[in-house]
Amino acid sequence: MKDPVNSSKKTSDKGGDRPLSGFFPRWMNINILAQDVGFFILGLIGASIVGWVIFPAVLYSKHPQPINFNHALHLDSEKVDGIEGETKAEKCLFCHAFRDDGTFVGIPKLESCTECHDDPESPLGETPEEKAFMTKYVANEEEIPWLVYSKQPDCVYFSHIAHVKMGNIDCATCHGDFADNEKLPLYVKNRLTGYSMNIWGKRISGFYWNKKFSDRMKMDDCARCHTEKGQEQNNACFVCHK
Amino acid sequence: MKLTRRNFIAAVVGGIAGIQATPLPWKITDDVAIWTQNWPWVPVPPTGEFTEVSSVCNLCPGGCGIAVKKVDERAVKIEGRTDYPVNPGGICPVGMGGLQLLYDESLRFTGPMKRAGLRGAGEFTEISWGEAFDILAGRISNLRKKGTPEAIAAVDGNPEGTTVSVLIKRLMKAMGSPNYVRPLSITDTYRMGNLLMQGTLAPMAYDLENSDYVLSFGCGLLEGWGAPGRVMNAWGMWHDGNPAKRKTRIVQVESRASNTASKADMWVAPKPGTDGALALGLAHVIIKSGQYDSRFVADHSSGFDDWRSLEGTNHIGFKTLVLEKYSPEQVAKITGVNPKTIVSLAKGFANAKAPVAIYGKGKDSLNGSLYEFMAVQSLNALKGSINRSGGVLLPDPIPLSNLPPLEVDAIASEGLKRPRLDQAGTMRYPFTDSLINNFTDAINRNPKSPVDTLLVFSANPFFTLPDGGGFKNALEKVPFIVSFSPYRDETANMADLILPDCTYLEKIDDIVWPTGLQYPLYGLSKPVVEPLYNTRNTGDVVIELSRAIGESVGSGFPWENFEEALQARAKGLFDAGGGLVSYDPDAPAWQRQKAGNGPKPGYKSFDEMWEGIQSGGMWYRPVSSPKSWQGLFNTPSGKFEFCSKLIAQAIEHYSNKISKKAALKNMGLAAIDDEACMAHYQAPKAGADRSVYPLLMLPYEMINLASGWIPSPPFLYKTIFENQLLKDKSFAAINPKTAAKYHLEEGELVVVKSPAGEVEVRINLFEGAMPGIVYLPLGFGHTAYDEFLKGKGVNPNNIVQAGQDPISGYPVWWNTPVKLVKV
Repeated sequence: MKDPVNSSKKTSDKGGDRPLSGFFPRWMNINILAQDVGFFILGLIGASIVGWVIFPAVLYSKHPQPINFNHALHLDSEKVDGIEGETKAEKCLFCHAFRDDGTFVGIPKLESCTECHDDPESPLGETPEEKAFMTKYVANEEEIPWLVYSKQPDCVYFSHIAHVKMGNIDCATCHGDFADNEKLPLYVKNRLTGYSMNIWGKRISGFYWNKKFSDRMKMDDCARCHTEKGQEQNNACFVCHK
Repeated sequence: MKLTRRNFIAAVVGGIAGIQATPLPWKITDDVAIWTQNWPWVPVPPTGEFTEVSSVCNLCPGGCGIAVKKVDERAVKIEGRTDYPVNPGGICPVGMGGLQLLYDESLRFTGPMKRAGLRGAGEFTEISWGEAFDILAGRISNLRKKGTPEAIAAVDGNPEGTTVSVLIKRLMKAMGSPNYVRPLSITDTYRMGNLLMQGTLAPMAYDLENSDYVLSFGCGLLEGWGAPGRVMNAWGMWHDGNPAKRKTRIVQVESRASNTASKADMWVAPKPGTDGALALGLAHVIIKSGQYDSRFVADHSSGFDDWRSLEGTNHIGFKTLVLEKYSPEQVAKITGVNPKTIVSLAKGFANAKAPVAIYGKGKDSLNGSLYEFMAVQSLNALKGSINRSGGVLLPDPIPLSNLPPLEVDAIASEGLKRPRLDQAGTMRYPFTDSLINNFTDAINRNPKSPVDTLLVFSANPFFTLPDGGGFKNALEKVPFIVSFSPYRDETANMADLILPDCTYLEKIDDIVWPTGLQYPLYGLSKPVVEPLYNTRNTGDVVIELSRAIGESVGSGFPWENFEEALQARAKGLFDAGGGLVSYDPDAPAWQRQKAGNGPKPGYKSFDEMWEGIQSGGMWYRPVSSPKSWQGLFNTPSGKFEFCSKLIAQAIEHYSNKISKKAALKNMGLAAIDDEACMAHYQAPKAGADRSVYPLLMLPYEMINLASGWIPSPPFLYKTIFENQLLKDKSFAAINPKTAAKYHLEEGELVVVKSPAGEVEVRINLFEGAMPGIVYLPLGFGHTAYDEFLKGKGVNPNNIVQAGQDPISGYPVWWNTPVKLVKV
C-alpha cells in the first residue's frame, strides 16, 4: 500500500498548485506535522496516565494491621494507667524501649502487652479490638505479626539510640506523630520490594515543597538531616551500610 | 485520522518522552535495586534482642568453650570463648559451623521413629516416645526373660568418663550384657600406654604451652588434635612471627606434608607405621651420647639397665635393646629417614630444656599403636620430661564421684558371666577394655548374629570405623538396631528404631577432661536453645528406659533426670575442694605452676559450685607444681617402667594356659621375652601380596571436615579445595614420582583397589606425599544425609584392610596395601 503523504509521485503531481512546495521537504507538510504532534501528545498523555495513575495503583497493595492498636487511648493517662513518661517521647520509649545493651526494641513483643493484658478472660477495656487481641494472641501466646511502616532493608544499619539519645531527636521527627492516633493506618506495601510506602513517601513523585523528615525515609533524607545538623561525616557509606 | 506507522512512532516517542516525566522509571529503578536485596533465598538475620549464651562445644572430645550469639530465640553465631581455660577465644571450623547441625532439618531426626523402608533407605515413620519405649523395653524384657541378656549390645561413642557413657555402661550391666563396646580413639592408646609404663589412670596430660621443643610423632596439631582451640593458641605462642623470638621448636614426624608438617620448624617423614622405630633411633643417639637425664633414669625408672632376677635369669634393659637394634643406620633402613637427620633430631631433642615428645595419628579420633606410644613415651622418660613442666604431667584423675554400686538381678548376673564378644580383657587382649573390630568380626563370623538388639549411642561406626566396611556388613545381620543419634547418619539409616538425642546445643551434657589437656577439667554444656523438635537428651532416655524395662533394672537409676545424675557425680568435685568454676584469661590455667598462688574457688556449698559450673560451664584445677615422686607411679616396680612388668606378667599368665609360642602368636607378638615388654619395632604383616598391591593407602584428616560421628556442617564444603574434592570426586594425593611410574596425570580418574574393596577417585599430584603412598582424605563419601553431604567423594575407611596391633588388638589402619587402576 502506498502512503499518500509520503508518496513522492503524488506530491509532485500537486506541485503546481503550491508554490515553494518543491522547496520544503515533504515531511514539513503542516498536516503531517500536526498529526505527528497529535500522536506525540497522545503518547505523552497515555504515558502520564500510566506513570502517575496506573503504576502507583499497581505497585502498591493495602493491608490492614492484624489488630488496630489505639495509640491515643494508651497514652491518655486518664484512661490508661501504667504508661509512664513526662513528654510524649518518653511515653513512646516506655513501650518502644531501649534494651540494657542500648539496642532498640522496635515494636514491643507480646510479653510487653501482657504485662497489663495478662488475663485473656478479662479484658481491661471494652473495645472489640482488645477482645480480638486477647482471644487470638494473648490466649495462644502468639506474637502479633505487625507490619512495620519504617522497616528498612537489611543492608541499612540504623541505631536508634544514637539518634534519640545522642542526637536528641524526637520520635515524631522521623515517624510522624503517632501519639494521638486512634487507628493504625493501612500498611501500603510495595509489591516489588515488600516495604511500606512510608519509606518512599506518600507522594509517588518524591517531591515536596516543605519536606518534613517524617514524609520519607530514603537515604537522601538521612543525608539531608545529617547535613542540616552539621554531621556530614555521617554521610560516609560505611556509617550505615556495613 | 488513521493510525499509520508514522503516527504510531510519534505516539511511542511521545510515550517515551512522557514516561520520563512520571515517577515510573525512577521509582522502578530504585525498587528493583531494593528488590535485589530481598530475594527470598538471600538469608536475612532476624531482628530481636541480642543475647549470648556461654556453653561448651561437645562435637569432639576437645571440649572448647563456645559463646553462642542469639537474636531472640534464634542462635545466629558460634564463637570461641575467651573466658574458658581450654581455648582462649579460638575454635575450629567444625565448631563454628555447628549451627547447621542444629537448624538443618535434613540432617536430623525430628522425633522418635521406626523404620518404614528397607534398611539403609532412610525411610521412617514418626511414632510417639511412649511407643518407642514400649517397643524397645518389650524387646529387651523378652531377651532377659529368655535368659539371653548378652544378646543386647551397645556401641557407645560418647567419650569415656562422661556421665552419659557411665549411665549407658550401667544400663548394660543392669540388663545383664557384657557387650558394651566403644569406637576407639587415640585416648585408648594413651590410657593403655600410661597404665603399662606409669601405672596412672588419669588421661594423657601434655604440658604443651610450657614446652620449648615439641617433637610430634604424627599429632595433627593443626588438623584438630586434642582441643583444637587450645592447640592452635599454643602454636601461636610457640611460633612467634619473628624467628628470633621463637621460644619453641616444633618438629613434625609424619609421612605426608600436612598443615602441621608444613608449618613446623622441621618435618621428618618416616614410612607410615615406623614412628616407633624412629623414636627408638633417637633414644639410641641420646643414650650413646650420654645426654639422657641420668637422675630420672636412675631414681624414677626401671628396666633401663640390664638386670638379673631373683631366680637368676638375666634380662636385657631398654638401653641394651636400643643400643643393639636401633642405631641410626638400622633405623634408617626401617624408616627411610637419613641417619644424619636422626642424629640431628636426637641432638635437638636432647639439648632442649623442656622437650616433650607427643604421640598421635592425625586428629584424636582414631587409635594408635601401643609400642609406638611406648617408644615415644620412652623418649620423654629418657629426657626426664615426665612430671616436669613442659613435659608430660601426671595429674590425679578427675575427682568425680562414683555412682552408688549397682545391684543386678539374677538374670543380669548370669548374663554378665558370659564372655564378651570382642574378647577384650581376656588373656589375649589383657589391657584392652573394648575392641570394636573384634566385636564386628564376631557378628560377621557367625552365621547367626550373636547380637539380637544393638543400641548405638553417639556413634556412626558404619562410616567412621576403619574396617573395610565390616561394621556395615555386621549391621545387615543384626536383627534389631536402635539408634539414639540426633542425626540421619549411615548407622541410623540401618536402624529399626530411632530414639533421637538432642543436638549439643539443645541439651545439658558433660565433657570430662579434654584430650591431652595438662590439668583436670570438667566442662558442662547447656541448652543454648530449647529443643527444636521432639527429641530428648539420651541421658534422660537411658534413665527412663531403665524404668520401662522393669523394676529390677530401673532401681539402679534412682535419679529423677539426667541432670540429677550429673550432679550426683559432680559431688566429688566439691568434696575434693579447690576447683575453680570461673576463669580469668589474664591468668592462663597452664601458667599457674609458675605463679604459685592462683585464684581461690568462690563457692561454699555444693549448690553454689553447681550453679557456678552451670553458668561458667567449667570446673578445673590449674596446673600446680610438679608432684612429689612418692607413690607417683603405680606400676609393679613403683617407677616408670621402660620394661613393663604388667606385659611380662600377662605373657607369663597366658603362657601358663597355652604354650608360650601360641600365646605370643595370639597376642600378635613377634618379639619374645624382655623385648616384648619394651618399646620395640615390629613390622606389620603385609596383609596381601605386595607384588599385586605395591602401594600403601593412608587415610588423613582435615581440620575443616568432621571426621568423627558428627556430620560435617555443609557450609564446610565451601572451604574444600578443588584438588581435594571436585564435584562428586575426592582426590588421592600421590607423589609425582609415583604418578610417573604408573603414568598418571593430575585429575585423572583411578580406582584405588585394596583386598578389602575399591574406590574411585581423581589423582592429585602432591610433592608432600611420600612416594609409594596413596593418601585419601577422611570425612567424604557419605551415603546418608542431604544433597550437600551425600555422594561427595569416597570414604577411605571402606577399603582399609586392618591387621591387629600387638597386645592391644587395635586395628592397624595405616597399613592397607593398594594398587591404582586407571579408569
